[in-house]
Amino acid sequence: MLFRPDARDFRLIGLYSARVLMGVGVAMLLPATLGFALGEVNEAWGFIVAAALAVLLARTAEWVCRTNAALTTSHGLAAVGAAWLLAPVFAAVPLLLSGHYVSYLDAYFEAMSGFATIGLTLANDIDHMARSVNLWRHLMQFMGGQGIIIVFLTLFARGGGAIGALYVGEGREETILPNVVSTARFIWRVALTYAVVGIFLLWAALVTAGMTPGLALYHGTNLFMAAFDTGGFATQSSSVGFYRSQVVEAVLMPIMVAGGCSFALHYWLWQRRGRELVRNLESRVLATSMLLVFAVMCVGVARIGLFADVGPLFRHAFFQTVSAHTTTGLATVPGRLYLTDWGVLAPGMLVIAMALGGMAGSTAGGIKALRVGLVLKGLRRDLRKLLLPHDAVVVETYHAGQRRILRNPQVMTAVVVLLLWLVLYLAGTLVGLFYGYNLQVALFDSTAAASSGGLSVGVVRPDLETPLKLVYIAQMVLGRLEFVALFVLLGYLVAIVRGRA
Amino acid sequence: MSLQAPARAVSRLGVLGGALVLVALLAGVVGVAEALRHPHADVQTATLAEMGDVRDEVVCPDAPAAADDGAVAVGSGELHDCPALYDGLRVRYEGEVVGALLSRRGVAWTQLNDDDYAGVLGPLPAHRVYRGSNAGVGVLLPTGVAEVVEWVGGPAARGDVLVVTGTFHRVDPASREVAVIRADSAVTSRPGGPAPAEPLPARRVLGIVLGIAAAGVTAGPWLLRRWSR
Repeated sequence: MLFRPDARDFRLIGLYSARVLMGVGVAMLLPATLGFALGEVNEAWGFIVAAALAVLLARTAEWVCRTNAALTTSHGLAAVGAAWLLAPVFAAVPLLLSGHYVSYLDAYFEAMSGFATIGLTLANDIDHMARSVNLWRHLMQFMGGQGIIIVFLTLFARGGGAIGALYVGEGREETILPNVVSTARFIWRVALTYAVVGIFLLWAALVTAGMTPGLALYHGTNLFMAAFDTGGFATQSSSVGFYRSQVVEAVLMPIMVAGGCSFALHYWLWQRRGRELVRNLESRVLATSMLLVFAVMCVGVARIGLFADVGPLFRHAFFQTVSAHTTTGLATVPGRLYLTDWGVLAPGMLVIAMALGGMAGSTAGGIKALRVGLVLKGLRRDLRKLLLPHDAVVVETYHAGQRRILRNPQVMTAVVVLLLWLVLYLAGTLVGLFYGYNLQVALFDSTAAASSGGLSVGVVRPDLETPLKLVYIAQMVLGRLEFVALFVLLGYLVAIVRGRA
Repeated sequence: MSLQAPARAVSRLGVLGGALVLVALLAGVVGVAEALRHPHADVQTATLAEMGDVRDEVVCPDAPAAADDGAVAVGSGELHDCPALYDGLRVRYEGEVVGALLSRRGVAWTQLNDDDYAGVLGPLPAHRVYRGSNAGVGVLLPTGVAEVVEWVGGPAARGDVLVVTGTFHRVDPASREVAVIRADSAVTSRPGGPAPAEPLPARRVLGIVLGIAAAGVTAGPWLLRRWSR
């Protein structure tokens, strides 16, 4: 029987959502500081206004919702869903005040795209955008990629056990360490280590490419956040193609791959368990899938004779493959050329790569290599059962940190989630078809929005139809949270309407 | 949503009231943001100009017409729509230098935008006529030619608008870059310069007031606790 939520339920959801909001407000002080330092005073005050509004509402909500009640899983999931819908409301304010967005809805779209690490943009004239605002776009990706809930609650909330419920809500599979706080700290440690090394390497590559050291540091920092958090925003409208540098691309690719790898894998590598890279089911599936996509893409591009020799073919095809498969969305090729100069097969492979995505428990989106691996293993087990004698016992195993036996519920869950992903991709495609886009472009941008792939062939632009903007926003948040948190939030709404007192 | 009967469920009216308060607060946030947008005496409402649409059928000309010097005048839209047609052709292209001038090994790479922000409209946020994302082409300039560039477009700056003449390559044979113009001459058709922003006093005043209030509610209780000890 479904019961209507009581005051304690609302308080708990409100309290934890408010704490996340508080964190978003505090985070805005960083671009505000940069804005004041660079003389972008109007933008800097915009950040102060937005930060103050977020903090004031968060403090009020914390006071109204104060409670000592324990957080349960359903509260945690609903709080995650609510926080992910609320945070962009405030994060969009400085974007709107930058003057580069037509409407508040466009700014909200951009903020959601940032937090969900999608990389699709509705910004106008990015090439003249204030540096503080551009930093904020990338910072949102960093926060969203690491998991805004975990980022802020490990800083602002006490009680690791209580926030364990929130951890799962953000699409993480399982904790790496015994408790959530130590897991979150490990995620921070990994991110900061990669940040120090990655930003330095990108800075050096950009200086080598001819950029001044100061500008290289700014671009390098933003590029790192876009690549490691598989975000895909770029400081320039022409994305990575702007730098015209193979060195920059060579540095970015391992950073994108690192972002697409699960934090669990990082943990095992951190512990010098290098063999895990070869034995792990996910890393094997991801590597195989990436190589297949790359090979077919090369065939697709080679067939149309775009590249005279294999060097540039491999370079551009591999960068696009890595970017799409890790659902980053950085590009060395203008999006329009995917339609006019890359034939049909290569863009099709990009769609498949984005749809499959990276590893579970990483900053990447998409179906995830783990689920693909489990479904394939399940299929193999069923085929073996059919081929072997009736009374044969068939046991399928896989490796994820340790050798594990494949169980039916795991396969079932993987299949269900995989089907949900396909429905999500198709839903956006259908709405795109309704508005007259052809199947190729509707599927491309719908998959990019849902999987956080972020590459675009031009459907997503400021004069995009409003219902499509709303559909893409829904796809972004559903994909990023992997359905469950928003389903629980919807469950609360149903309980309010139909539940018994 | 509890599996066990809750102690006291909130009435639907109560939930509706709370939801309305939340919606009103969020609408207030949106209202404040809208009120603080850049004021423009000439255009008060945002104008969304017609943009390139992927639904439009791409029609490439049979043979591009060249001028007396053999160069075809092109825009980035034509180059991206019909790259095969212009591959290897001598082209003349005009656009604003944006981002940076990346000088290395005797050449300089840059991006020349030929969108409306590079033209008469000028960069955002100085107006409210929105024309979508930027459009441009990567251009490779010999270092000697690149010396004409004095202003690079970016935040609070309009870049020089250059007219470059050179060869368009779908894939440049030397650099292996995609869709670029290897230019051999460049002339500044409109010099760039600073594009300073008008100060917005209302934003500053509200920022100070709200900032003090936010700092107060955050640090206030903590300070009170310390003083009461």
